[in-house]
Amino acid sequence: MVDVTKNRKVKTDQLLRVDDHDFTMRPAFAGPAVPVGVDVQVESLDSISEVDMDFTMTLYLRHYWKDERLSFPSTTNKSMTFDGRLVKKIWVPDVFFVHSKRSFIHDTTTDNIMLRVYPDGHVLYSLRVTVTAACNMDFSRFPLDSQTCTLELESYAYTDEDLMLYWKSGNDSLSTDDKISLSQFLIQQFHTTSRLAFYSSTGWYNRLFINFTLRRHIFFFLLQTYFPATLMVMLSWVSFWIDRRAVPARVSLGITTVLTMSTIITGVNASMPRVSYIKAVDIYLWVSFVFVFLSVLEYAAVNYLTTVKDGKDRKLRESLPCSCGMSHTRTMMLDGTYSEADTNSLAGYTRAPNMAEDPPEKQERMVVHLSLDNEYTGPKKKRFKSFRIIQNTHAIDTLSRMIFPGAYIIFNLIYWCVYC
Amino acid sequence: MNVPQMVLRWACLVCLCRGAFSSSTHKTHSRKKNKDVFLGENTKSKHGGRIDFKMKKSDSTKSLLIKSEQLLRIEDHDFAMRPGFGGAAIPVGIDVQVESIDSISEVNMDFTMTLYLRHYWQDDRLAFPSSSNKSRTFDARLVKKIWVPDVFFVHSKRSFIHDTTMENIMLRVYPDGNILYSVRVTVTALCAMDFSSFPLDTQNCSLELESYAYNENDLMLYWKNGNDSLRTDEIVLSQFFIEEFQPSYGLAFYSSTGWYNRLYINFILRRHIFFFMLQTYFPTMLMVMLSWVSFWIDRRAVPARVSLGITTVLTMSTIITGVSASMPQVSYVKAVDIYLWASFLFVFLSVIEYAAVNYFTTVEEMKRLKKGTMPASYNANQAMAFDGCFHDEIDLSPFPELPTTPNTDRTVAPRNSSSPADPPPTEGTRLWRRRSVRHNLKFIMSNSYMIDSYSRIIFPLAYLLFNIIYWCMYS
Repeated sequence: MVDVTKNRKVKTDQLLRVDDHDFTMRPAFAGPAVPVGVDVQVESLDSISEVDMDFTMTLYLRHYWKDERLSFPSTTNKSMTFDGRLVKKIWVPDVFFVHSKRSFIHDTTTDNIMLRVYPDGHVLYSLRVTVTAACNMDFSRFPLDSQTCTLELESYAYTDEDLMLYWKSGNDSLSTDDKISLSQFLIQQFHTTSRLAFYSSTGWYNRLFINFTLRRHIFFFLLQTYFPATLMVMLSWVSFWIDRRAVPARVSLGITTVLTMSTIITGVNASMPRVSYIKAVDIYLWVSFVFVFLSVLEYAAVNYLTTVKDGKDRKLRESLPCSCGMSHTRTMMLDGTYSEADTNSLAGYTRAPNMAEDPPEKQERMVVHLSLDNEYTGPKKKRFKSFRIIQNTHAIDTLSRMIFPGAYIIFNLIYWCVYC
Repeated sequence: MNVPQMVLRWACLVCLCRGAFSSSTHKTHSRKKNKDVFLGENTKSKHGGRIDFKMKKSDSTKSLLIKSEQLLRIEDHDFAMRPGFGGAAIPVGIDVQVESIDSISEVNMDFTMTLYLRHYWQDDRLAFPSSSNKSRTFDARLVKKIWVPDVFFVHSKRSFIHDTTMENIMLRVYPDGNILYSVRVTVTALCAMDFSSFPLDTQNCSLELESYAYNENDLMLYWKNGNDSLRTDEIVLSQFFIEEFQPSYGLAFYSSTGWYNRLYINFILRRHIFFFMLQTYFPTMLMVMLSWVSFWIDRRAVPARVSLGITTVLTMSTIITGVSASMPQVSYVKAVDIYLWASFLFVFLSVIEYAAVNYFTTVEEMKRLKKGTMPASYNANQAMAFDGCFHDEIDLSPFPELPTTPNTDRTVAPRNSSSPADPPPTEGTRLWRRRSVRHNLKFIMSNSYMIDSYSRIIFPLAYLLFNIIYWCMYS
């Protein structure tokens, strides 16, 4: 009883006569090199890791060669398609990725392998691979940098006398999905090259290169690093506008901005490899840190000099017979204005013997301070008179209000011009 | 099934067999019945033509019926036994090309390396006749059928032979039986690291190769080209500088199994200090310097000085925690620990210094309060609220004390009269030398501003000295 549903017993093995040949040997064994064309379609760039200095890519890798042992008779010129199970029985080129750290052929739901055999023996072998390969990155301009990474294909066993690897369509062999996008990078270009690689023990091999250039998007770092650092520096300038007598306020403002800058710096270096050169972001953060630090030192200087001057003025007052010699502090309490400090006090204290030389001048000044209090700094003060601003400003503060922002703006101009 | 079809099939089979046998001989070799096949470089087309001629339903694309097993006579031998079994030890030469050192992990105390490992030996069973001396190249499928040395990496944690797209294995067989077997391996191996000079340290790591089954009576492992057997590609590590790669050789004894040949790949890594300078040393130095700022601030500004001191302590503590996070928890002190803890101590002492200054100032105030009088109209709290410092007539700088004048409200006379034994200080330092220690201590207690003055000099000098000692010792 013949079962009509039972077709002709055709096995691929019989069709392709796999058992008749020994497929451990390459086509044209001991003959000329077998040319194998390669075609790549990049599906995605999964991740680029700075800490590990590598990238992960998923691609469709296609090989084209001719193996006469696999030709079969056919009236139409149609090819036959097989999946992963035939691959184990025939010869396929052993291409590997040089400098890869980990790689695998996807195997869900079955091995992602396709084999297409044409009647004349041409074979198309396609597989879907994810490979993590090393990429030497240079971070000296991080985060305003561009990285060039390469994926290299080579045959493991066969030198260029046995297997010639080439890009099947020249520069058009590499195609990418349109949807390739990375969150942090802009992919500038993909292009292919080909070279020979020499190994001293084993000979010359054909190597194919997939090169791509990535440019980093700066926006994330602007928001995460540059903007907070700039704000912290500006915050430290607020200290120059606060009354120098408010000691706890100015000190805690300065020290808290230093602490925040330190935290920002630590945060940036957490996700970076420990390189031995300075990065662009390091330069910015450290210069900002120095600005913030200097604002703390500036207030320490102001406070110290104020105290020194206070002491000297007190001495002077005590040596004056003048009954109107109230302490500056006292005058300050009464009318809220404080005349501009005489810059002579910055020169350091004078000892009692020396003061004998200066007193006449100083007495005069003292008197002038008291009687012509409002006119001494008239031209300047008249502008503010209407505001009744409490002027208790040391010269250093006044200078700092202009110097610090000016210097920081100049630094920013230089920095962004150099790196953009 | 009908009989004629069967007969026809049988006849075809016979013809095929005869065709196979007749095509397998070469003109320079006598016709042999065995399956010994020789294939010359330029005789393929001839053989192909003969096959076409011989076979009935001939397919022009069908190549010579040659199997590598037939070529290499694999079925004839038992490759479970090593070459020269029962005889002398087989020498196996090793050649290594290091492709990259992927990572060096301090926390796990290991390193990951990718290398091409090549073995060279001679197996007479694989010799085949050949007019030219050219070798034959095979890939991974032949490896399972013949004998290969079982080299493993001693002290490795994880390792694998790369297998994309095929197993990265190469086998090259020469006509005289010499074999070159090359594998691409990634191995993660243990490296005992000593962190007592971290981060100014140098680590010495080694990768060890040994045969698992065969001791030195059976397999002699040796470096094929002596010191040149070890080659490296351009290896660049971000954190380390590789000082040298060196192969060496030794014997290892296992009490249960005997002596084994062991090959070593030694390399020395020197850490780049720059990253730690920027990340750890520099912030620490700045924090210590910031704590000195406190000595220059008016000691009457209590909240300011306290918050300055305590915030620098907090930042130092954060830096210390940050460094320890990426380090293994070792039981000895590292160089970076010494620096961080010494700096922490300096910052801590500046807080303690201000506590002392403040305490002595209060003691002075109490004494003065008992002896002197304060005007009733004066409200110390109000004055302090205005400008954040409490008002008194304490002179902060070592100015010469002048005789009191009647126009000052608050008298300083009591101060002068309170300690008749102490003449007003003209210069603190001059006094220091003339008086006894107890006297000076009492002097300091009553003039607590001196602590600040001395601290301004002592703390920076001490820190500078510490730095000089530290960097000289570790560099």
